[in-house]
Amino acid sequence: MAQVSIRKVVKAYEGNVQAVKGIDLEIADEEFVVLVGPSGCGKSTTLRMVAGLEEITSGEIWIGGDVVNDVPPRDRDIAMVFQNYALYPHMSVFDNMAFGLKLRKFPKDEIKRRVDEAARILDIQALLERKPKALSGGQRQRVAMGRAIVRNPKVFLFDEPLSNLDAKLRVQMRTEIKKVHQTIPTTTVYVTHDQVEAMTLADRVVVMNHGVIEQVGPPQELYHNPATRFVAGFIGSPAMNFLPVRVLDDGGLKVELANGVKLAVPPQRVDRYGPYKGRQMTLGLRPEHLTEIRDTEKPNVVRIDCMVDVVEPMGMETLVHFFIDGEPVCARIDPVTHSAPNEVLPLAADLNNMHLIDNESGKVV
Amino acid sequence: MKRLRLLLGTEVPVACILAFALFPWLWMMLSSFRPDEDLTRSPVRIIPGALTLVHHIELLQRTSFLDNLRDSFVVATGAVMLGLLLALPAAYAFSRFRFPGRRALRVQFLVVNMFPVVLLVLPLFIVMRTLGLLDTYLALIMGHATFTLPFAIWLMTSYIDGIPGDLDEAAMIDGATRMQVLRMVILPLVVPGLVAVGIYLFIASWNEYLFALMLAGRNVRTVTVALQMFIGENEIHWGLLTAGGTVVALPATVLFLLVQRRLVGGLTGGAVKG
Repeated sequence: MAQVSIRKVVKAYEGNVQAVKGIDLEIADEEFVVLVGPSGCGKSTTLRMVAGLEEITSGEIWIGGDVVNDVPPRDRDIAMVFQNYALYPHMSVFDNMAFGLKLRKFPKDEIKRRVDEAARILDIQALLERKPKALSGGQRQRVAMGRAIVRNPKVFLFDEPLSNLDAKLRVQMRTEIKKVHQTIPTTTVYVTHDQVEAMTLADRVVVMNHGVIEQVGPPQELYHNPATRFVAGFIGSPAMNFLPVRVLDDGGLKVELANGVKLAVPPQRVDRYGPYKGRQMTLGLRPEHLTEIRDTEKPNVVRIDCMVDVVEPMGMETLVHFFIDGEPVCARIDPVTHSAPNEVLPLAADLNNMHLIDNESGKVV
Repeated sequence: MKRLRLLLGTEVPVACILAFALFPWLWMMLSSFRPDEDLTRSPVRIIPGALTLVHHIELLQRTSFLDNLRDSFVVATGAVMLGLLLALPAAYAFSRFRFPGRRALRVQFLVVNMFPVVLLVLPLFIVMRTLGLLDTYLALIMGHATFTLPFAIWLMTSYIDGIPGDLDEAAMIDGATRMQVLRMVILPLVVPGLVAVGIYLFIASWNEYLFALMLAGRNVRTVTVALQMFIGENEIHWGLLTAGGTVVALPATVLFLLVQRRLVGGLTGGAVKG
């Protein structure tokens, strides 16, 4: 039971390369927080600083009301699951899970009780006598989680725990991790580069890039109200479309695409976008807000004709790729709608969900 | 055609190299079984007229060779234990920590091996004399550990490099200190490496002559020094010398056969892993 505070934390390596550039993050007790970002964004370094495996150049890290900057990992009361599982190859599954408890001199029957309980939760009772090399990837991952659970630590740390699993197992283990957190609510910091994992697991997602936090928020908020162009492009798959536009007043506030098509800004956004009149901006629109023309039209949905380049049927939807003045654009349409390459397809752009991005600051306005 | 190329290109050359390398050893072994008159005959007879065990029997019954064997064994075992005790933690540090001078130290370890051992033995002699350790087991054990340690550490480091550092980190988060990590996680996993390095240390000490002569030789006399004693001023006891040589070569040969694959693995282990 502990909250974690990261305050103005900097990690600099030799030659003054800053991997983490002064980040602040408050994690509540029992909260599941996911750090997500491209490789080299500083998310793993941040996690390793919380674990105590990496020294903090400046700033403070608090776990449960104590500054832990100079506390070695073994005294931080944390548990960590590694990407490559890091199971002790010479020990049985039982001994792997019991290792931390033995080091802390727990009585034998208490160790057995805890390991059995964790094995039951993770459904690995039958494997307790095996060595790690006799386990599959998914089973190893369960054992690694079991090793963390038995300790009943203040904080769980996960460092890309699913990256070594195949796609199907990854989805299954993702659900498993979420279920474990629901059964044993413990403060959790989880690092991944996979935005789907971040979205599905997190109470709050922390998007990092180049050593800084771009945005912190619940998954839905990040999805619908991204703060920056980076977050808008990183969260969601297929990624948001970005189109260069000019904001102008042409009998009402409009944005003009590079191909000359003018789209009226929805009335509720006019005040927000008004100050940017005359500026070159970027229009952000998710593929699902660019659909086939539907019968029941909402207000502020405008028609755009496109010359189809590639059609990708996904089953429950079809992705249509085309270009607007050289910029690639993706639309998600109903699979029953006819679409074929090199044919003109009329699309509906739902501008209620548009985003306008300041090209200089990269911020969504 | 293919058969011929294999024969001329591989089998004959390999056979030649083998013969070249094995001949002295075989000749020594063969000589130890020849009667005395056969040994001094001129011209030399390749195939012995008769085979006898008289030299081996004389060696074990009438000389102190058994005591020398015991001394060699004690010294070599001691050198193995001391060497491993020092090499394991040193290698762990080289593998896991990035400290200033790490590279320079590692290179220096190799450079040390390029100096003639004679240079090392003089200062060691003075040190041992000052400590009053001359002609004791301890002097030889320390002496042998000194010149084998750099290579032992080098070898051991590549074994430890093969164990992922995540294991150390996982154990430390589980509550282990560095020494506990070394004892409970690393040690059980480098047993093959310890065996290989241990055998290297054993063979190096067993076959060593110069230190054994300079730092000891009277009370503690290893087999290599004892063999030399069979070469007198006026005559050479060829029978005893070759019989002794055969006996001495045996443990080293057997140990090396056991470990050769592992030794090569340890030398290249670190090189191929990214």
